[in-house]
Amino acid sequence: MSGGQHFKVAIIGGGPAGIGVAVGLAKRGIGPVVLIERRAGVGGTPMGYRKKPGGVPTFVEWTRGRVVFGEELAGRMAKRLAKTDTTIRLSAQVTQIDPAEKRLTLLGREGVCDVTADAVVLAAGAREQTPAEKGWLAGARTARIGFTRHITGWLDGHGLLPARKPVVVGSDLIAYSVAAKLRAAGSDEPVMIDRRRSPSAGLFERLFFRRWTRPDWSGDVTAAGIKGDRSAAGVQSSDGQDWHGDGVMICGELVPNTELALLGGLAVELPSRQLQLARGQALSEPGWFAAGNVLGGFHGAQWCYFNGRQAARRVANFLK
Amino acid sequence: MTQFGTWQPKIRGKLFYNWPQGACEEALRFTSAGQLGGEPYDVVIVGAGVVGCGLAYRLSQYDLRVLLVDRLHDVGEGTSKANSALIHSGYDAKPGSLESKLLHEAEADWPGLAARLKIPLDPIGGIMMAVTDEQERQLEAAEKNAHANRAIDVRILSAAEIREREPNASPDVRGGLLVPSESLVDPFMASIAYAEIALANGVDILLGADIAGVELGQPPGAPLHHLVTADGPRLPARRIVNAAGLGSRRLADGYGGGAFDINPRRGQFLLFDKSARPLVQHILLPVPTAHTKGVLVAPTIFGNLLAGPTAEDLPLNDPAATHTTVEGIRRVLEGGSRLVDGLARQPVIATYAGARCACSQGSYVIRHNDGAPGIVTITGVRSTGLTASISLARHLIDGMQKELGLELSPDSAALDSRPDSAWPGWWRRPFENGATDARADHGCAVCFCEVISGGEIRAALDSPLKPRTMDALKRRTRVLSGRCQGFDCQVSLAEIVSGHTGIGMAQLTKNGPGSELVAPGQAEFTA
Repeated sequence: MSGGQHFKVAIIGGGPAGIGVAVGLAKRGIGPVVLIERRAGVGGTPMGYRKKPGGVPTFVEWTRGRVVFGEELAGRMAKRLAKTDTTIRLSAQVTQIDPAEKRLTLLGREGVCDVTADAVVLAAGAREQTPAEKGWLAGARTARIGFTRHITGWLDGHGLLPARKPVVVGSDLIAYSVAAKLRAAGSDEPVMIDRRRSPSAGLFERLFFRRWTRPDWSGDVTAAGIKGDRSAAGVQSSDGQDWHGDGVMICGELVPNTELALLGGLAVELPSRQLQLARGQALSEPGWFAAGNVLGGFHGAQWCYFNGRQAARRVANFLK
Repeated sequence: MTQFGTWQPKIRGKLFYNWPQGACEEALRFTSAGQLGGEPYDVVIVGAGVVGCGLAYRLSQYDLRVLLVDRLHDVGEGTSKANSALIHSGYDAKPGSLESKLLHEAEADWPGLAARLKIPLDPIGGIMMAVTDEQERQLEAAEKNAHANRAIDVRILSAAEIREREPNASPDVRGGLLVPSESLVDPFMASIAYAEIALANGVDILLGADIAGVELGQPPGAPLHHLVTADGPRLPARRIVNAAGLGSRRLADGYGGGAFDINPRRGQFLLFDKSARPLVQHILLPVPTAHTKGVLVAPTIFGNLLAGPTAEDLPLNDPAATHTTVEGIRRVLEGGSRLVDGLARQPVIATYAGARCACSQGSYVIRHNDGAPGIVTITGVRSTGLTASISLARHLIDGMQKELGLELSPDSAALDSRPDSAWPGWWRRPFENGATDARADHGCAVCFCEVISGGEIRAALDSPLKPRTMDALKRRTRVLSGRCQGFDCQVSLAEIVSGHTGIGMAQLTKNGPGSELVAPGQAEFTA
């Protein structure tokens, strides 16, 4: 295949990290730049966290001594992006990459097209681990086994409570914020279980969420199954512990969205799906970089944004 | 111009959902037997799995009044939905058995059937792999057995020949058996395609209706029976086919059917990411033991890699029959790793378990005039039901002609195929091959993992069987089936379904009443 538009830099993902890259490149006068986002708007995951009276301040950042909600923070970043000359392709998904040629195949409203670039930044974010990926959680495949994104989608988007008696699987900051969000929306005090002995969220984080929730904690769960016939009825461990509920929320423990890298032949560790970095934020193929949560781990919106800015600096050095 | 994934033929049959509160439109809701018309049915098939749907499809070619009824809210939703997604050549069946005969016939049917009914099929072939000396010694007998089953193209391969075909084969491989006619298939689309053609040809379909009992008519002659649904309406039937799978024992008790014992045999599977697909070129089968066929490793037609199943006998009505266990999954991975090197480091995206209908009286138990005149029981259809569904349907119709006095006159207006546009979207992607007829919303992905657009989801909602549950949409479009398992798309999918059908977000279900996506009993308010 030939043809397609050529850009100096292509950015895959329009969340905080991708925006950070675009803003950083603009400050250096590098262009033309294209930012490709598969959703209908930029801003990424924090955009789903709305500010509501009495709501739980999740996905917050403390900037200039003030608490900023996810939606507001991502909105500010989007405004900074709008001031640049970046070409933004929304509702467009990269379905294939050719690392050596730095060619991306896009599916969008107008159909399939190709884009090439001198450098590409992967800022595709992360998702939560599925039960199968955890390995210690099996059982039924019923309704109301949800992820954090579903909870924000149902609750903030539609005012619907995903579960009245939730069992939260996981114990990091995300898991605590989910427990708090559900509790504040009127659920019973959530049960929280994890494979770890003690919660992975730090003491300060746990104290912060105590205003809304004091989850009923059980750790050291080594093998368990989700119970239920048509919808989730809780979790049962192989050693006989039983946590009753009407929904199971699979929270935290992010998996980077590295499938394009994996299917395109860039170096990816398996089965963890972590990108193998040549150095810094550079991937195995020259001219390919990564920024934000796609690098692994779990970071807030501001960290991702500044990590994007840093990637922009590395891209600029590469292009020199 | 055709649209992708849609097929809107002139539909002669009636379709209803027995769904008292909620999640389907008024026009589809079943409230009384009167909606089906007063005339008794010539044949009522209980069970819309692949066996029942296949039979409905074949019967729809004749001038008959037929009803297909199931307790679940889609076709192919029970035993038929979770299996190894293969068309078996029957090389390992018991020679001379009915199963062997049906599989041999079906082997010749499948390529043409798949092309006519638009069921994705890929004849990649299989290799049975011996990884111990003892297994190697069994290969000759297995080859002999295959030839006795008229699978004449089956032959023994050396270890070197296997390694040439399968570079990632286990280093322990001693030799194997090439089984060229094993194929990958879309297991969901078989039931769906059969049922869509049956519906178009005038077969009535009633979903979500549990049959609680049978009122037997009084002989002499061909008596008129009534099937009584759990909610009250009575369905008049001159002949009844019990194809209820794991529900066949309970139904048979309702008409005094003969003795048979069934139980669910659980099979757990591991599904690997599409990135693992290149690891394997053929369907890799273990050498079976006396107890089980063992854990196979095979690509899926959808482009993933699959390992499984286990074989665990559970008691009837045990809800755990479709649950996976940490231990079971570990055993599947162990079994698969005996055949394929490096399997354990491949990323797993999902685990699932299916329940085969195991019967102590053997497989393919068929009884005519069972308990009362006009009643046929078919049970014990275990792992080869999908493959044999087409030849079994013909076999059942022959039996009904001979034993039940069913008279057949071909319906000259009956359809025997689906058009090209009925190929599922994932199989023939919009915009591919220079297609120009895709709608704008086909380019805008809802499910990012499988790249499924809103247009394809709306097309599926409008398809003949009017699927209304998330699982039914999943089986038609592949939405929710990718590596993120619905993380990204569950809520946006629900928004599309709600917007297109008018069903409230709070009423949407995974697979029928009791499986609401949010805590039940809530009224939605607009955010």
